[in-house]
Amino acid sequence: MTGENPASQARVRVWDVPTRLFHWLLVAGFGFCWWTGETGRLEWHRWSGYGLLGLVIFRIYWGFFGSSTARFANFLRGPRAMLSYLRGAWSIEAGHNPLGALSVVLMLALLVAQIVLGLFAVDVDGIESGPLSLYVSFDAGRAAARWHEYMFNALLWLVALHVLAIAYYLVMKRENLPAAMLHGTRSFPVEVQPVRRASATRFFLGVILAALLTWLVARAFQPWA
Amino acid sequence: MTRSPRLRFRSALIVPTLIVPVIVAVAAYAATPQEAQKARHEHYEQLGDAFKAVRDNSRGDSPDWAALEKAANTVVEASVNQQQWFANGTGPEAGKTRALPEIWTKPDDFTAAQKMLSDRAPKLLAAVKAKDAPGVQAAFKEVGGACKNCHDTFRKPED
Repeated sequence: MTGENPASQARVRVWDVPTRLFHWLLVAGFGFCWWTGETGRLEWHRWSGYGLLGLVIFRIYWGFFGSSTARFANFLRGPRAMLSYLRGAWSIEAGHNPLGALSVVLMLALLVAQIVLGLFAVDVDGIESGPLSLYVSFDAGRAAARWHEYMFNALLWLVALHVLAIAYYLVMKRENLPAAMLHGTRSFPVEVQPVRRASATRFFLGVILAALLTWLVARAFQPWA
Repeated sequence: MTRSPRLRFRSALIVPTLIVPVIVAVAAYAATPQEAQKARHEHYEQLGDAFKAVRDNSRGDSPDWAALEKAANTVVEASVNQQQWFANGTGPEAGKTRALPEIWTKPDDFTAAQKMLSDRAPKLLAAVKAKDAPGVQAAFKEVGGACKNCHDTFRKPED
């Protein structure tokens, strides 16, 4: 690549621990939720679904109150930014580029939709169901279950696209993004600002918030019941 | 306009002449295997609905006993009536159904599976009538077990 100088080859901190933890726990949780759903282990499926709900709530909170590279304001720049990036006219920064930003938004949106559908879903026998299904009819719960299934297929496609894109960056552009998401650091051809991390207090507040909300949902918003 | 008695009688005949074939056609249609399959499907959906009602209403400290009794009655009725829902010729050969051929090739096993439900369903109703909340939860699990027992062998898995 042109314009490199040795000084800027030093590794720069990009992703903080909470963000990385979230990413990899999501991967594991998604896989487990998928397996338990496919093999009819619906009790465990529900529990891992709650886990994913907590993770997603935390990520959204972190997107507003977390480290700089995790914040939505940091990487959501709009369609014009995406076009400049594709034309190669985008200045390099640590964190998601405008195209990557799109995939983050899509994935979070589909995940939220998938989880919400699961919360209302009812199985064909009316025996196993999500915690919020008691607020809807059997028919509505069955529809939620069907859409939970369709939505999962959309998610799988998105995951495949995500993996393909990562592979493309690795092989064609020689950017090792998985390593960056694992170690939190990577080198850049130019000088970039490292991540400005958020405090541990903020982190714990986020964890408590996510746990509390997930617990409320699991109790169908009736903690006294 | 006055009409002769004979003309009025002939006109009156039009009504039964038109209606009777319609009734016969409808009755014949309802008796086809496909209609029977559809009716069976709807009965089981109703059962699922009642099951959901039992599950939803037995949560928490103040269950809705009236709704529970209504649902438990549906379960008991279905557990008995379902013996009529599997007439010969209403299997996969007749149309789209999740009923497996084993129902008709293993009739004794099938009858035993159905009996498990009709044995357990009244216990659910009894627990509901006694307003015994833990008893309802236990009976619900037992009835669910009876559903699963039959489905594992005799219902086609979802694809």
